[in-house]
Amino acid sequence: MRTRQRLGAVLLTLGMVAVLAACGRGDDDNGDDNGDGTAASQAPEVDTGSASGEIDVWAMGAEGEALGAFAESFMDEFPDVTVNVTPVPWDAAHDRIVNAMAGGEVPDVSMVGTTWMGEFATLGGLDPTPANIDGAQFFEGAWGTTVVDGTSYAVPWYVETRLLYYRTDIGEGAEAPATWDDLKALAASMQEAGAEYGISLQPGGTGAWQTYMPFFWQAGGEIMGEDGSFTLDGEPCVEALTYYDSFFEEGLTPAAAEDVPVEGRFANGEIASFISGPWMMSIVEDAGTDPEAYTVAHQPTEEAGTSFVGGSNLAVLADSDNKDAAWAFIEYLSRPDVQAAWYEEVSALPAVQAAWDEGVLSSDERLSEFGSQLEDAKAPPSIASWEQVAAEIDSVIEQVTVGDMAPEEGCTVMQEAATGIGTGQ
Amino acid sequence: MSTLNAARDLPPVAPSGREGGGRRDRSQLGAWWLYALLILGIILLVGPFIWMVLGSFKTTGELRSVPPTWWPENPTLANYQDLFERQNFVRFFINSSVVALFVTAGNVIFCSMLGYALAKLNFPGKKILFAVVLATLMVPGVVTFMPLFLLVANLGLVNTHAGMILPFLAGAFGVFLMRQFIGGIPDELLDAARVDGAGEHYIFWRIVMPLCGPALATLTILTFLGSWNGFLWPLVVATSEEMFTLPVAIAFMATGQTETNVALLMAGSVVVIMPVIVVFILLQRHFTQGIAMTGIK
Amino acid sequence: MGGGSSPSTAGRSRWRETLTAWSFALPFLLLFLVFMAGPILIAMVTSFTDLRVTDIRNPFAIEFIGLDNYLAVLGDPRFQKAAANTAVFVFVGVPLTMALGLAAAVGLNQGIVKFRTFFRVGFYLPVVTSIVAIAVVWRLLLGTEVGLINSTLSIFGIDGPGWISDERYALWSMIAMAAWRGLGFLMVIFLAGLQTIPRDLYEAAEVDGASAWQRFKGITIPLLRPTLLFGAVMTGIGYVQFFEEAYVMTEGGPLNSTLSMVLYAYRQFGFGNYGYTAATAFVLFVAVATLTIVQFRLFRDETR
Repeated sequence: MRTRQRLGAVLLTLGMVAVLAACGRGDDDNGDDNGDGTAASQAPEVDTGSASGEIDVWAMGAEGEALGAFAESFMDEFPDVTVNVTPVPWDAAHDRIVNAMAGGEVPDVSMVGTTWMGEFATLGGLDPTPANIDGAQFFEGAWGTTVVDGTSYAVPWYVETRLLYYRTDIGEGAEAPATWDDLKALAASMQEAGAEYGISLQPGGTGAWQTYMPFFWQAGGEIMGEDGSFTLDGEPCVEALTYYDSFFEEGLTPAAAEDVPVEGRFANGEIASFISGPWMMSIVEDAGTDPEAYTVAHQPTEEAGTSFVGGSNLAVLADSDNKDAAWAFIEYLSRPDVQAAWYEEVSALPAVQAAWDEGVLSSDERLSEFGSQLEDAKAPPSIASWEQVAAEIDSVIEQVTVGDMAPEEGCTVMQEAATGIGTGQ
Repeated sequence: MSTLNAARDLPPVAPSGREGGGRRDRSQLGAWWLYALLILGIILLVGPFIWMVLGSFKTTGELRSVPPTWWPENPTLANYQDLFERQNFVRFFINSSVVALFVTAGNVIFCSMLGYALAKLNFPGKKILFAVVLATLMVPGVVTFMPLFLLVANLGLVNTHAGMILPFLAGAFGVFLMRQFIGGIPDELLDAARVDGAGEHYIFWRIVMPLCGPALATLTILTFLGSWNGFLWPLVVATSEEMFTLPVAIAFMATGQTETNVALLMAGSVVVIMPVIVVFILLQRHFTQGIAMTGIK
Repeated sequence: MGGGSSPSTAGRSRWRETLTAWSFALPFLLLFLVFMAGPILIAMVTSFTDLRVTDIRNPFAIEFIGLDNYLAVLGDPRFQKAAANTAVFVFVGVPLTMALGLAAAVGLNQGIVKFRTFFRVGFYLPVVTSIVAIAVVWRLLLGTEVGLINSTLSIFGIDGPGWISDERYALWSMIAMAAWRGLGFLMVIFLAGLQTIPRDLYEAAEVDGASAWQRFKGITIPLLRPTLLFGAVMTGIGYVQFFEEAYVMTEGGPLNSTLSMVLYAYRQFGFGNYGYTAATAFVLFVAVATLTIVQFRLFRDETR
């Protein structure tokens, strides 16, 4: 019995040593030489003309439901290809895609949230974009979200950006603020004219970085430098964070999230302005805001008037066995006329710039504001660790605006935390 | 521990009140005080539940009103209608029920079987096995949820009922409970059956299990409760709404877009809590008996 | 086992008994190995690696980084805050819940025979209900402007503070809620324990002139020791792992004042830092084990 136990122990140890030896990262083979920040490298052209076979497509939310009709039109043009669209609920999508990549059982095409790009590409789950799809046709900020480590792994599908929503009927009718000072003055004057708060800015909490980052970019800041290190601190940060905090210091914005949502308070004039995306137009109108009584405006300009761009991309999965047809479908959805038709269907702003030249996108006043802002809009870097870095930034924003941390200290903390987390590549 | 064991053999405590007039007066005065304090305690403990139930029949506007109202001004079933028609609560209820049912059934069967083997059969490694199983009682859920998720993902069971059920089918507590209880069944009973030629499985199902009423009742109640109220694992495994259990659903409602619809949240909480309360009130004797039993051991 | 049997029959029946025993044990053991023992081992191993969600396609392409995860966890100010919050929660919450539970048990035991069931059911009600649903209801009760507590206080002209939106009060509000919820469980256990203490001990002491408090300290507490220990251990283990309240009511805020260790681990899991999550979990495990050992020491049975 004792010898048997000893033998068992030896075998176990040998086994563990073997496993340990097999582990290890070895040489990093998913790095790319293209670190100079110029045009992202893409895969060689694929022959989409002769696409055939079957492809599975995953799409989330309302898009998933509506995509079927567009797949039909695609199949009319490419009769040799069969497209199966599967709508996937948003809340399940991220995990479901990750699990599929882990198991190798993937769809051919999938909709991918912009902030998931870093993670999925680093996983090795995405196929690089072939050169037949030209990155220049998309809004620059949107194209940037597809680039991970210098290579593009997806194609922007639709976009959103953030504008200033403000009431035009409070006070003597305000003008669109052109500079930081103008924005502050606007909020102050609205508050004097009777609004409880001149503006509503997010005081920390999940996603606060999306309201803060534009100010950082406007002050000339960049999240990451050319060499891939974080540059979250420095002059631009101190400037932007001090400016952001000043609204809280001066009582121009509520310091805590209230139980009543912002659209209700905007509708009844308690809150005179806020910053958000295109979906809020219908939401504030449903909450009772008179369409004549409000408008949207560009972000104010310091060194630049940059806003945040988000949206969704379309990607081909690395384990797909019909990449040619998959990219053909994506190429089809990127055509300006298809993009414009897509807007008509689901009200998702097109990522292709040419699609904005006609129709309601060029004629509607508010929509064209969004369109022109998209020309100056940035997204965070597509790194695998962005979610965690963003959470740290949210936390610092909370400590500066609600707590008593000084903006200078906040910038240092942001930078240290981000550097500590790393890029996860 | 020994003192209490000895004490257990004494006759049950009889209420006093027959000795000495003076003492009786004092104890009666004390009794009023006591009742008052205990009633205050009950109000504080049960009050929020009553407020919750009453609130589920109000509108969000009324719930927000100052000064607050107690009885609903215009009682309405709108919240419940919303829950079951538009908010998918039927689905959540089904998910919770299915998971709790299978987990409970599985625990009752598998833990009893192992408990029987540990208590009444002899085999090598018995002591080590029991020690190992018991040891895992100390391991908090947060240790296993990450590898469990990776495991379940590899088995393709993420976002499925099986994924929510399987990790809990083997509960160490059940083994402990059943082993202790079955250990108390006299060996003579089992030996008599063996002499008559009965196989162990026959003995287990036909003789032992029927005798395990109280323990099985306790195990059933505690396991069902634990599963119905479970949160962390369903939160991790159910990645889309149609698989949510009731606690996960109400948590998402409270932190998501409907978080400002206070009346809806009240109604949702009622649906989550009420079945358990009803079952508890009906079976409360078994509950407290079981808890006390495990406590004294 | 009665009846004479030759050595070979004895050997055969022993082998058969082992087989039978294993047939009873197998279902549980299979599930146990796959869903409990296995994951514990995997967690242990991955806590020494840099496994992240991005490694999911090549799980063996991970590095063993020794204690780096553990050092990073212990050195993270946010974790330290979570640990401090959890410590406060336990060291204030456990005694508070035990005191309330004991008081209620003693109260019920003092000859309140009528309605005892009613009181027992009432006090135990919060225990059987889902923490999540309770947290949701309490969040509404404690809300700043429209919560019931503050609206009631405002009738009397008192401006209630932000019970859960102010970082000075949030954790204390949660502790109070936990005590509210947990005291019923302890009450039931203590009541059962109290009822095993023989009446004559009290009467003898009273005859000797001992006051109620002396009787309590000298008889009740010592004889209740094992039960108190059990209550403290169960409550302590539960409180160290508090999660639902923080998740539902405050998301760990404001300013991390209600961040718990389990919530911290869950967040790291959400970021895909699997090795780090495992290390955090084991640190918590050590905390649970230490707490339990300390409590055993504290309540050591000194009677004989």
